[in-house]
Amino acid sequence: MELNQTESQKLPTDLIGYTCSYIPVELLSATGLRPYRLLHGALGLSQKGEQLVRVDACPLVKSNLGFILENQKNFACIIGSTGCDMSRRFLEVIRLMTVIPVYIFNNPRTQNFDIYSNEIDLMVKELEQFFHRRFDRGLIQRECERWEKVRSILRQVDARRRANPSTLSTKTFHNLVSHYYQGDIEKIKIDLPDEMSYKPRVYLIGSPISYEAEPIIELLEKRLRICGDFNCGLSRGIYINLQEKTIDGLKKAYYYQPACIFKRPNKSYYEWIQREITETKSTGVIVYVLDYCDNFDFEVFKMEKRINLPILKLKSDFSFQNMSQLKVRIDAFIEVLGSLRAGIV
Amino acid sequence: MKKVKRIIPKKIGLDAWSKQFQDFPDETIKKYRYYNNNEWGVYLSPPATFMVYGLRELKRLKFDNSFESLRMWGFVFNETERLFRARQINKKIIATMGDLGIVPILVLSFPDCVPFYPECLWWTPFFKESTELLDTASKLGTPEATCFSRVVVSAFHKRSYFPKPDLIIASTGASCDDYSCVMQVVEDMGYEIMWVEIPYRKNPEFMLIKPKIQELEKTEQGFSYPKVIEEYLVKEYHRIWERLFKLTGVNNPHRLVETIKKVNRLRSLVAEIKTLNARAEVAPLPGLEMMTIEFGNLYGYADFDEWLDIIQMIHALVKNRVEKGVGVLKKDAIPIAWITPSADPYLLNLVEEIGCRIVETEYVINQAMVKIEEDIEPIRALARSFINGSLIGSPAERVKNIKERIAKKEIRGVLITNMLGASHCAMETRIMERLLSDVPVLSLDVPAPFGITQQIKTRLEAFVETIR
Repeated sequence: MELNQTESQKLPTDLIGYTCSYIPVELLSATGLRPYRLLHGALGLSQKGEQLVRVDACPLVKSNLGFILENQKNFACIIGSTGCDMSRRFLEVIRLMTVIPVYIFNNPRTQNFDIYSNEIDLMVKELEQFFHRRFDRGLIQRECERWEKVRSILRQVDARRRANPSTLSTKTFHNLVSHYYQGDIEKIKIDLPDEMSYKPRVYLIGSPISYEAEPIIELLEKRLRICGDFNCGLSRGIYINLQEKTIDGLKKAYYYQPACIFKRPNKSYYEWIQREITETKSTGVIVYVLDYCDNFDFEVFKMEKRINLPILKLKSDFSFQNMSQLKVRIDAFIEVLGSLRAGIV
Repeated sequence: MKKVKRIIPKKIGLDAWSKQFQDFPDETIKKYRYYNNNEWGVYLSPPATFMVYGLRELKRLKFDNSFESLRMWGFVFNETERLFRARQINKKIIATMGDLGIVPILVLSFPDCVPFYPECLWWTPFFKESTELLDTASKLGTPEATCFSRVVVSAFHKRSYFPKPDLIIASTGASCDDYSCVMQVVEDMGYEIMWVEIPYRKNPEFMLIKPKIQELEKTEQGFSYPKVIEEYLVKEYHRIWERLFKLTGVNNPHRLVETIKKVNRLRSLVAEIKTLNARAEVAPLPGLEMMTIEFGNLYGYADFDEWLDIIQMIHALVKNRVEKGVGVLKKDAIPIAWITPSADPYLLNLVEEIGCRIVETEYVINQAMVKIEEDIEPIRALARSFINGSLIGSPAERVKNIKERIAKKEIRGVLITNMLGASHCAMETRIMERLLSDVPVLSLDVPAPFGITQQIKTRLEAFVETIR
């Protein structure tokens, strides 16, 4: 799915792009701009991105690159982190190939709160000076309250998805939460239709879920119910536990959020998802891995060993050419889940 | 020895080397020993010996025919034996992973500690012409479209390439994802790992506001960075120092000062060899030997003193060849730059066979090539040296030197070797091609062992035709 000219024109021109869950959205929003997480995943955009990077780059990075090239004028700047390597290098490509100012934030991979804290201070200083704004206590408190209110709504909505039986589909949740990541938070509402389901419950993990991922979610939910996830683009961003509405509070909340798999060691990632799988009473796990996404591709083997449930691994480059094959695989997975429930496997 | 020095420089194969080896007297062979051990430290043997031991690609490769190069190859190919011997004589084996060039300096400052880089095993499947290590890595769950450094997973699994390390120091952060993931898999196998953070250099171009001059520093090579990056590294290196102190019970900062001097001696010799090699009318050494020399800067192939001695000898050889105007390639060989090392050594032979000469390299180890400051606090000096790193900055910084030499007409083409799926290759190559567009640039994916086909050869030949 590629944004056409009309859609592109609809995109506001006051965006501050960002790339990672460890960048506090409240600080971006304090600039007066709209934080827009770069989570595009469409084949057309990806092909556009391939003008600047090799074909074996992460499809999400390529798509985002394509999206930025098409919408340069809409971004006042882009803030990124040293999260995964391709994501960091993506910012270098943007800086070299466009006029958009970028800021790269050192997000430590190892356990190092001091670096994180210091880097947040530096980023705040940069944002204040660049946008001529003072991030005083009042402003930060207001931003914290504004975003926390939205996250609270999203957590309530997510609770319906997680309930047993689940009363909300991930398709609906994805549509809603996309507004959060696109900074369009006024559109987030709590009254959503009842979509109760008794389909087999599965938990979703893996690479980020893009804004254009609806067809794949829909396909999965035709015969399954995704009742929980730990993916960027879905519920990852809403489980920030903000205790103190200050910059220090933001640092703690974002640094100690449920850990990304790229952290070293990544033990706490597994602790979190194992707890989640149990709590959501999932009977199977879907691991969604984008092509060349090392951080997940390397881990699938370990996941199969550690997660004591049937696992379906889906690889994606955002093309939907293999939909029929996917359907067959999903059907086979459901059969495995059924056999397990019947005590056959 | 006199007889050897009269040999006309050229590249020879295994048979010729074996014949030439017969001329060396026993006392010469026994003279050179690793760990200075008289009983079992001898490492000189004709390359054919290592071919018999399993390095099958050696029969296809061509080597420099000097005694100095023979000594070097004997030493390099002997590393596995050396590491096991080190364990036998109670040295501490420290696996340093991911930083390529600095952590071993800290390790070498502690008595009886031997650092080594498991990732240097990435050449092994190619030398062996075997996919065994790569296949085992796949069986252990590593994806196939990733850097060849994934063989490290197999090596840790098989436990026959190096002894179980007493300590593993793994550097990650603003580094490639492939190797960070490999290191995580190693930890999951049950090895205890000390994780160390590598920060991003953060050129002011990647900031919103131009920083004040007093907030910035500049590396010897002219890369700007915020001072705070240095502080991050200093803290991390202090942590490593403490850990090594705990391991050995020794805490002698003077040894670090001495080690830095020794490392600088090596680095300056290698820099001179590189310069002599690039500027000479006829290339005094082949590209394969040069690459092996450059990578020795990382850790001295697990016996730093012996390696330093080898490099001193090679330095003298190169100087001598340059003075005499002799060398191993044709005078009209076309000067090119090489970006990212090739996991397959044969490619270096091939490029020279078709008429090129490598005069500049960017083998992702820039941090191991620069001189370390000796007039400041040593741990800070190490941090400042690391900040020159190849992979912690932007592609524009990576190709800066090459670009300058292209402008001076010293380089007529650039070859970039890639690994399919490796994070930095995927993201940097196209940009580097654009940045170096003043000359033809050929970007190649290094195939799996024994995978260099006629198609690759044809592409190389076409590249040479373009730049000739």
